[in-house]
Formats: sequence, structure tokens, C-alpha cells
Amino acid sequence: MRASNELVYDSARPRLAIWEDALELFRYRDLLWGLVQRDLTVRYKRSILGFLWTMLNPLLTMIVLTIVFSTLFRFEFQHFAVYLLSGLLLWNFFAQSTTQAIHNLLWAGSLVNKIYIPKPIFVVSALIVGLVNLMLALIPLALIMLISQHPFSPALFFLPIPIALVFMFALGVGLFVTTLAIFFVDVVDIYQVGLMILFYLSPIIYPLSILPERYLFFIRFNPMYYFLELFRQPIYDGTLPAAGLVGRAALLALSALLAGWWFFTKKADEFAYRV
Amino acid sequence: MFERFTRDKRARDETAIRLENISVRYRVPHERYATLKEHTIRLLQRRVQYDDFLALREVSMTMRRGEVVGIIGRNGAGKSTLLKVIGRVLRPTRGRVLIRGRVAPLLEFGAGFHPELTGRENIFLNGAILGFSRAQMQAKFDRIVDFAELRDFIDAPLRTYSSGMVARLGFAVATDIEPDVLIIDEVLSVGDAAFQLKSAERIQSFRATDATILLVSHNLASVEAMCDRAIWLERGQIVAEGAASSVVRQYRGDDTRAEAKRLAEITKPAPTQRWGTGRIEIVAVRLKNARGEAATIFETGEALILEMDYHAHDAVSSPIFGMAIHRQDGVQITGPNTAFAGLTLPTLEGKGTVTYTVPYLPLLEGLYQVSVAALNHNDTEMFDYHDRCYSFRVINSQNRIRERFGMLTLHGEWTYTHRPANSDVAFGN
Repeated sequence: MRASNELVYDSARPRLAIWEDALELFRYRDLLWGLVQRDLTVRYKRSILGFLWTMLNPLLTMIVLTIVFSTLFRFEFQHFAVYLLSGLLLWNFFAQSTTQAIHNLLWAGSLVNKIYIPKPIFVVSALIVGLVNLMLALIPLALIMLISQHPFSPALFFLPIPIALVFMFALGVGLFVTTLAIFFVDVVDIYQVGLMILFYLSPIIYPLSILPERYLFFIRFNPMYYFLELFRQPIYDGTLPAAGLVGRAALLALSALLAGWWFFTKKADEFAYRV
Repeated sequence: MFERFTRDKRARDETAIRLENISVRYRVPHERYATLKEHTIRLLQRRVQYDDFLALREVSMTMRRGEVVGIIGRNGAGKSTLLKVIGRVLRPTRGRVLIRGRVAPLLEFGAGFHPELTGRENIFLNGAILGFSRAQMQAKFDRIVDFAELRDFIDAPLRTYSSGMVARLGFAVATDIEPDVLIIDEVLSVGDAAFQLKSAERIQSFRATDATILLVSHNLASVEAMCDRAIWLERGQIVAEGAASSVVRQYRGDDTRAEAKRLAEITKPAPTQRWGTGRIEIVAVRLKNARGEAATIFETGEALILEMDYHAHDAVSSPIFGMAIHRQDGVQITGPNTAFAGLTLPTLEGKGTVTYTVPYLPLLEGLYQVSVAALNHNDTEMFDYHDRCYSFRVINSQNRIRERFGMLTLHGEWTYTHRPANSDVAFGN
């Protein structure tokens, strides 16, 4: 009988990668928590501004864009601030946490080369930090809704679902780009360009209604569109999203996660001699 | 095989690590493309080729709990790869690794520390990186803080610490991490004297516990002194394994033979290493041992004889002949010449030999380089100078000299006078 506290590593044990990784993440939960705590501490603990910045940053962007769009372009759009900010928050979560995931793993490179650490932990911790930031950023959103007298609908209780789905999606994308970044130095830059393009292709700073009819078809190929809709409808429209939309978003999120995770585990064993 | 890994009352006999036919193949692109852009272009052109490189071939070994095992071998022999396989950093391409217990490497000072975190947070983060839970680190926390003598600063961010304080904290954390299998790779930290000293200390303190230690080192003397067993790797295969002293002896013999051959091949200085007016030419330089045989390998404490054949092309009155020994890093160790020794040579014309005899070579293990020179009597004209052209190695195969620190032994003698604590009478006298 093997004592249960005795760790035994057997490289030949047949493994179901995803299940194994999930177990390892649980075993290393103290490290996961430590990494999350580290990033949050570095950002918030020793600077009041860091905390305010998380709220101020989207607010300032929103103010600028609101002025630009409603005065310069003069289009009529009710509660544009709420529409804009809700989209911006979700986008920031996605863009920032996937980018941070790359930096996390590159930082950990020298450690991963010497010590066994379940590598997805660096991506997951970046995502959790992003999630905390998103939660904090919901506070200024609520403030804006109060100020602009936007109605709070009971549909808001649906929000955890889109947040969970976009988390899964971002995790999948994060694992994917992180793996690429380990192998190629220019991925960080390429990814930033890609993010910028996706940002303008997504209905974040503009409403879908300004798009000409013939382009509307193409928006279906933008995965962010589904998550944005899912997140925005309860906030802006005060309605529950249609089941079909939820289903499509869930399918997207799940397949991104599985594909990203599969790619990551497939290549993870090679990290040690690439970083 | 798994049955052998069951818990045994006689803990000493337990197998801690078992490797079964481990092979590691690195697949490296023929040319390495650092950018995705380039890689994609090559991929589209179907021009990505790979080279396979076998870092380990069919390596099998077993380590019992509590053993200290040294791994020796030349650069590229697969030592670090073996450590990575055992440390779970690399998964073997073929074969099987079984490890019982927690494996952790001895890290450099402060690896994984973050300047913005407090000392306390860094201790916990570092422990977590090494696979210890918060509760386990909680138990060690006070000991670490006391050992590092940082109790007053433990809640200040690390960036406010002096470098000495960071080093103390790093040391304290590393010292208190007690994995079941400790991995020490000295090769990766060459030149880090503090790390080397630390690893020696760690091994000493660890021997008392039940932990298994794996040490990769180029320092054969320390492998011999600290390890129970040694494994000699060559091109990814085990060449010899057994008692540390015997494996080290075999390795040294092989290493020495290979090197002696290589060093002996260098007999003529390269043009860039030689200058002078050439009125006296040093035409040949030989190093010999006590038995008068040409040699490039010497033992500490042995005799070393340097012979230089000269050819004076015209009459030169009382020239000076000299030599110098440099360590590989360029530090000059000695530079005797005939004038310092009070030997005045007559006017020379034609050929002859000047000999310098060292009856007792005080140098410790290492590679050394010899320069030779012929110059005029008042040091204003250099006739011929061979700058660090000849190399010899000092080894210590019989372990006659037990000293390990610095570059030479002073061949001194230790004595002592003991005054028992309560003997005032003795002091009175």
C-alpha cells in the first residue's frame, strides 16, 4: 500500500492530458493563489492609484469616445456611455489577460527550465487576475448606469454566464498564443496587432446599427461578437439573451478552450528546451 | 516494477528514483527560425527540416533513498538532461521514470523573487514554486525568518532590502526546503562561488536526513568527497557507475589521457603569440616530469622541469631566460627568471638548453599555461617571447593533497597548542 501523502511520478503512466492538468492545478493551488496574489499586490497594494486606475482607465476611454462619437459624428444613441463601457470592459478583460498570460510564461521561463511546475498555471493565474480586474471595473459601470439613469434589470443576474464563457474562451486563446510565444519571439507583437484589428472589427465602440447591411453577415465570424452580445444584452437592453446565442457562445468558448489546451499540452514538453 | 515502490519499514533500502531505458531526443529545426513570420514562410515553402539529437540513450539506473549520487562527464554528455528528466522538467522520449517523493532543485539566490512583494510573501511564493503548500511553508516560516535574521523587515517589500539581505533570505529559503530528492546542478552556475559553497553546505546538512541527492558537477574532487556513488555519462550513455572514488578515478584517467594527447600536440607557438628581435631564438620548449619523461599532466607536489632549447644567432652577452605560469583566466601565478635567481649566463652564441626545475609543484588542480622568454641583460631588448603557448594540467589523482580551495598549496605545516578552559595555572606560567 502506498501512503497517500507520497507523491509518485511515473512518466509512463498513461495520461489524459486535460484531466491530469486540472488535477495538477488543484495540487498546486497554493502556487496559483500565490501568483494571483503577487500580480494583484503589485498592482494594487502599494498604490492607491493602481486601484483607481483599473476603474479610471475604461472610464477615461469611455469619456473620450463618447465625446468623439456623439459630438463629432453626431449620431443619436441613447445611453451610449453604458453601451460603450460594457463592451470595453469585456474587451479589456480578454485582451489584457491573454497578453498578460504570455508575459507570465515568458517570465517563468527560467524557472520552468529547472523545476517542475504545471505550466498552464501561469496562463490560468493571468486569467484570474484579469477576472478580478473585470469585477472591480463593474463598479464604475454601475456608477455610470446610475448617473445616466439607465435601468437596472433583473437580467443582470445572468451576467455570470457570459463572464464564465468569455473566461473559457480567453483561457483557450491564452493557452494558444502563449505556446506560440514560447517558440517564436515575434508573437507578442503580432498578437498586439491582431488584437487591434479584432478590436475594430468588433462592435465595441460602435453600435452594430451603423454597419451597412451587406457587412452584417460577416460579423457572425467574429467570436467576440457573441460574447459582447451576451454580456451587453442584460446590461444595456435589460433582456435575457436568446437561447440560440447562448448556445453558440458556449460552443465557441468550449471549443476554443479544448483546442487551446490541447495545443498547449502537446507542446508543453518541449518548453524546457525552448525558453 | 511498481511493487518495488511500496512502502517499506526499512526506509534506507527504499528506491527513490528508478530510470528504465530512458532516451531523450531533441528535435531541433535545421536552422532555427526565431520568428513566426519566418517559420510560416519556410513552412509554406516546405523547407523546415529537423535534426534529431539523442541527448540520452537507453539510460537505466536506480537510486536508493538517502544516497548522494554524483553525475560526471564532459560538456554535452547529457548530465543536465538527465537532471531535467528526473526533475520532471523534461519528459523522456522513450523509457520510464519513477520517482518517489518530492523533487526540487537547489535554486540560485533569489530565483523567483519579486521585488514588489514583501519578504513574507516572497517566502510563501518561493515555497509554492518548489511545490510546498501554504501550510507546509507556515511551519517553516519562523525558522526561515530567524535564520535570515530579517524579522524586523519581513513585511517590507523586497526592493527595500540590501543585496545582502536578499541573499540571506534566498539562502534561508533554500536551506529550509527539504525535498525527498534534491537536485543540484553546479554546471549551470559555474563561477557562482557562493552557490558552490552553498551546495556543499546543503549536501553536508542533507546527509543526515533521508533525502536523496543528485549532484552534477565539474569539480571531481567535490564529487569524490561528497558522493557515495557516481555515474559517468558520455554521449548520453552510462560509461561507468559505482563507488564515487572509483568512477572518478576512471574518468580522470580517461580525461587525462585524452587531454595529454591534445596538449602534447601543441608544440609550436602561433605567430600572434610570439614576438621578439630573434637574436636569440627559443626553438623548442619541453615540460618533463620527475622521471624525465615529456609530460603535460602533473600531480600536485610532483616535480616539473621546463627545458628551453635556444639558438643564439650572434654573440649575446649574459642574456636572461625566464618563464611564467598563468592560470587559464589570465592570472599570472609566477614569473621566475635566471636574473632573479642570481644566475649570470656567459656570452652565448650557438645552441644550448636552459632548464628550470620545480622540485615541488604547489599548484592545485587546473589547467595552466606557460610562457617563456629570452631577453638581454638589462631588460631592454626582447629576443624571443612565447606568450602562454604551452599548457599543462595539474591533477590530484592520488588525493595526496587534500586541499581544495584556491590555486595553490603552500605546503605548510599545522601545529597547535591547546590550553584547557579552566587551567589558569597554565596561563600563569
